[in-house]
Amino acid sequence: MMKVIAGFFAGMLFFAVLGWQYGGAFMFNEYESPFGVEETAARIQANMQSLSENGWKLSALRDPGKAVNAAGSNVLPVLLVEACSTDYSGPLLKDDETRLLSILMPCTITVYKKQDGKTYIATMNAGLMGKLFGSKVDEIMTKVAADQKVFITFDASKPAPPLIKKRPGGGGAAGGSDDPGC
Amino acid sequence: MNNTGKNLLRLVMLAAVLLPFTAGVVNAQTTTSEVVEKAPDEVEKSANIGSTADHSKFKELDVDFKSGPEVTEACLACHTEAAKQVHNTKHWTWEFINPETKQRLGKKNVINNFCTATSSNQEFCSACHVGYGWKDDKFDFSQESAVDCLVCHDTTGKYKKLPGLSGHPNYKTMEWPPKSGKFREPTDLTKIAKNIGKTSRETCGACHFYGGGGNAVKHGDLDSSLNNPQRYLDIHMESDGLNFSCGKCHESNSHEVSGSRYAPTATDQEGVLIRGNNGDRNPTTCRACHGNAPHKSVEQAERLNHHANKVACQTCHIPEYARGPLATKMTWDWSTAGKLTEDGKRLLVRGSHGRVIYDSKKGDFTYDRYVIPEYVWFNGNVKYTLFGDKVDGQNKVKINEFLGGPDDPESRIWPVKKFTGKQPYDVGNQTLAVFHTAGKSEASFWTNYDWEKSMEAGMASVGVEYSGEMDFVETEMSWPITHMVAPKEDALTCAQCHRENGRLQNISGVYMPGRDNTPVVDKIGWILALLTLIGVVAHGGIRIVMHKRRQ
Repeated sequence: MMKVIAGFFAGMLFFAVLGWQYGGAFMFNEYESPFGVEETAARIQANMQSLSENGWKLSALRDPGKAVNAAGSNVLPVLLVEACSTDYSGPLLKDDETRLLSILMPCTITVYKKQDGKTYIATMNAGLMGKLFGSKVDEIMTKVAADQKVFITFDASKPAPPLIKKRPGGGGAAGGSDDPGC
Repeated sequence: MNNTGKNLLRLVMLAAVLLPFTAGVVNAQTTTSEVVEKAPDEVEKSANIGSTADHSKFKELDVDFKSGPEVTEACLACHTEAAKQVHNTKHWTWEFINPETKQRLGKKNVINNFCTATSSNQEFCSACHVGYGWKDDKFDFSQESAVDCLVCHDTTGKYKKLPGLSGHPNYKTMEWPPKSGKFREPTDLTKIAKNIGKTSRETCGACHFYGGGGNAVKHGDLDSSLNNPQRYLDIHMESDGLNFSCGKCHESNSHEVSGSRYAPTATDQEGVLIRGNNGDRNPTTCRACHGNAPHKSVEQAERLNHHANKVACQTCHIPEYARGPLATKMTWDWSTAGKLTEDGKRLLVRGSHGRVIYDSKKGDFTYDRYVIPEYVWFNGNVKYTLFGDKVDGQNKVKINEFLGGPDDPESRIWPVKKFTGKQPYDVGNQTLAVFHTAGKSEASFWTNYDWEKSMEAGMASVGVEYSGEMDFVETEMSWPITHMVAPKEDALTCAQCHRENGRLQNISGVYMPGRDNTPVVDKIGWILALLTLIGVVAHGGIRIVMHKRRQ
């Protein structure tokens, strides 16, 4: 009996260590891009705009490297492409139980260069994230995950679109633009 | 007259005597006051000039100059030897004979893989020549008034030599860029002549930031963001910091500016360069200021200083180039040039970054920012593939090759920008081609997009008959990276090189812990580990067996 209990706790410990070591990798996905940072971000933006029937609108394009530069230092290029769909955000924001998920909004895809000189794309593992918060969130996040795949699927035969340097704030109280963000 | 009357009379007389002095005092006070008010401006202006002469006060420059050479003649009236000095410089001759390889280099002779060659295109290229009037091979290089003083000494920022004017600025109102609808007013030569001063980042950068046909195109570590750089971009040139001008490192002597990419100094072991003791030393090296042991107050300082026996300072301290807002050109494919819009007009296509990636006149380009350099052994000798050197069209042509190796004590590991492209070569003559690119003639490629005519005219300009058959060959050119020095906290870390697939993965000839291994030592280690494991298992097994036997 002691052996069974010891084995159970040993197993628990093993998986806890495994989760501690590799849990982060499950929460996020990283892909290599065949294009440069700007072009990758621009193609993601174009793909986001192509899914306007799902409510997607570009929210912002952020360059956190500029803040580092302003502080007198360097980082390899990184761009944060942000978009939001009210079709998905609306139901989550209406429910007190799920309003805390506003911390994940807007949907952000990051594009960055690494030391090997290649460009990479990182997305949140929306499908897995949804499963952690019940069926309603799961249903919405499954759709988000499907759209994310479209965002990062590129047609190299199409010419490079221009990068849309949209500033954060979108519309509403922050920006007052006719093009509301999230 | 009673006493009161006498006193009154004395008072009036005294007043009469003192009044003029009083007025004088008042006037004097006014004058003093005016001087006091003006003085700070005067002092500031004198300080800003940084010279004992204020050229705006020179009567010789109080002239309505109609052309650049007229200004030069006025300059030479006082600076009698200046033109003769300039005539001896690379900036004037566009020629340099490498003392080691004896190759005849310089813009006049080298064919690169950007705009390729200057021959037959001087009218255009001479926008970056320190002279006036170089439009063809008949240019008189001995003419003193043809030296352009203003291009290096302008402080107004208004002096521009436009391509196509044979090194002159525009003297009449001119549409620029062509067909843009924007017009440049005639150059105010008098105003510029009266406001000359020391060279600056702006004057040097007017050419060196725009090499290869545009801003940030050629070098990778030089672009207009260095006119007013922040700390992150260049620790020496930071506007709010050390604020170095180019001339701070590139000291000049008799108008010859130090530093050369035709014969760079790859290794300098002579320590700090003491003023007055220059000799033949190049003052632009890092060690000329920082000495032979620059790492002093950091951890592992001695180890870092030891690295300098094999690694150039630039390798660690310029971790990436093109770190400003502008991407640098990385490839140029001339073979696709000539495609036009459906209505037969010049085609321009922009990339996501906003820069042109296709131009009918030039072909396809790619750009990149924060580019991780390639690293090569370099001893300061560069071998060029020049016009006439055999090109077979099958193998990639190295426009230049940085020489050196791990066993050469003069060699260091250097960061370089490798620029690749495809450019025309004359198949019959088996040489890189000189083709007529810019100009108004029918043979100019940019006029009619006809390679045959362009090749014929270009090759004729260097005295060779075009064979009649041309093709495109892949080429590669290396550029040393030495500007855009990052703050010390952004220097490469140990692990960026000392690991597998690190920065120096392609550097051969040195053992690098973390990157390299010795198979014999590895085998011995594995054998010892295996023996240890066997020993532990055997020992444990024996004890288990012995334990069971005792039971």
